[in-house]
Amino acid sequence: MKQGKPRKILSIDLNTSEYEVKSFEDLDNYIGGVGLGFKLMEMYYEKNPLILAVGPLNGLFPFASKTSIVLNNDGVIEDIYIGGSLSLRIRYGGLDAIVITGTAETKTVLDILNSSVSFRTQNEDPDTLGLPGKRSVTKIEENKVLLGGYFTTPEHYLEKEFAEKNISGFVVTGTELINITDFDKYEELYKKILNRKDELSVIEGTYPSCSNCPIGCGKSKTGEMGGNVLLHSLVACQYADKIYTDVGVVFSCLNVLGYNYTHEDIEFLPKLIEQTLRRIS
Amino acid sequence: MPKTLKVAFPEKCVGCEMCVMEAQRQLTKIGLEGALIRVFRNTNTKMGYIEYSLEIDPRISNLDVEKIQKICPKGVFEIEEIE
Repeated sequence: MKQGKPRKILSIDLNTSEYEVKSFEDLDNYIGGVGLGFKLMEMYYEKNPLILAVGPLNGLFPFASKTSIVLNNDGVIEDIYIGGSLSLRIRYGGLDAIVITGTAETKTVLDILNSSVSFRTQNEDPDTLGLPGKRSVTKIEENKVLLGGYFTTPEHYLEKEFAEKNISGFVVTGTELINITDFDKYEELYKKILNRKDELSVIEGTYPSCSNCPIGCGKSKTGEMGGNVLLHSLVACQYADKIYTDVGVVFSCLNVLGYNYTHEDIEFLPKLIEQTLRRIS
Repeated sequence: MPKTLKVAFPEKCVGCEMCVMEAQRQLTKIGLEGALIRVFRNTNTKMGYIEYSLEIDPRISNLDVEKIQKICPKGVFEIEEIE
């Protein structure tokens, strides 16, 4: 069996106000994002988890700025995506995913710094927690979950989860650095992808932009829902599909980051996800 | 003459942090720790109206500031010569 990179998962239990970090050696084939999210949903299904998952390209390549959110909406497993700065903070926190289970006794704000969690009361304004410039703040504002005061998700699934879990916000701060063996090759590939920004199927604007994306489009505010599983496992923007559904590009990115995937692994991903979803359903 | 980076048009910033990442890459770093540019969202603005502010560490002048200026999609920075 192929030896992959372990996936680091921060698991938070709101029932007991406890948390733990687990390293899984056998999740490599799910790549990240929605693939990893669905697999974690299967693993934690009985605990009705809310899962935030990033992919291997988040924080490292342009236009790969979304965070995958997987949740159980009355028996239907939904995957929605939020923009902003969250995916970079999770990645720079050294994490691949955050799994939140249980229900807090009183309204709670989760203050996450890398792999550690502080359980705060709702009296503490999330905007005052974490480290400025290195944090991402998500909180309820006027009945909507807003990230950075702007970015939202489609439908009302996340708002429902916040209510069910009795949380009013979470702050993620990431202070770790990522090591890359061949930095020159990485940078060359980064610039090559950045130079393809005209291939994005969205109009450049002056709206708040997702981190590591220069476009400032008006579309990222509302997030994404469903769609291409490779794109959402990475977790890249849906408007960058011309770039990140190109298996050659994806393979190059993963390779330079030290992931030992083959083209076949990437091609098999949709089937693997389908099988996982079938088991949960 | 050495050059430095100045935030000339903060109101144009869209918070993409491309400048932060570029400066970090020049130091062969990936992440936010030790970043010479920091982008903050101003939280005292009214809901739905987002503003960002930037802080630049003076050590930025040791980097290729023209590259940082160029990567900003909205033209937030100007280059200044240091006397």
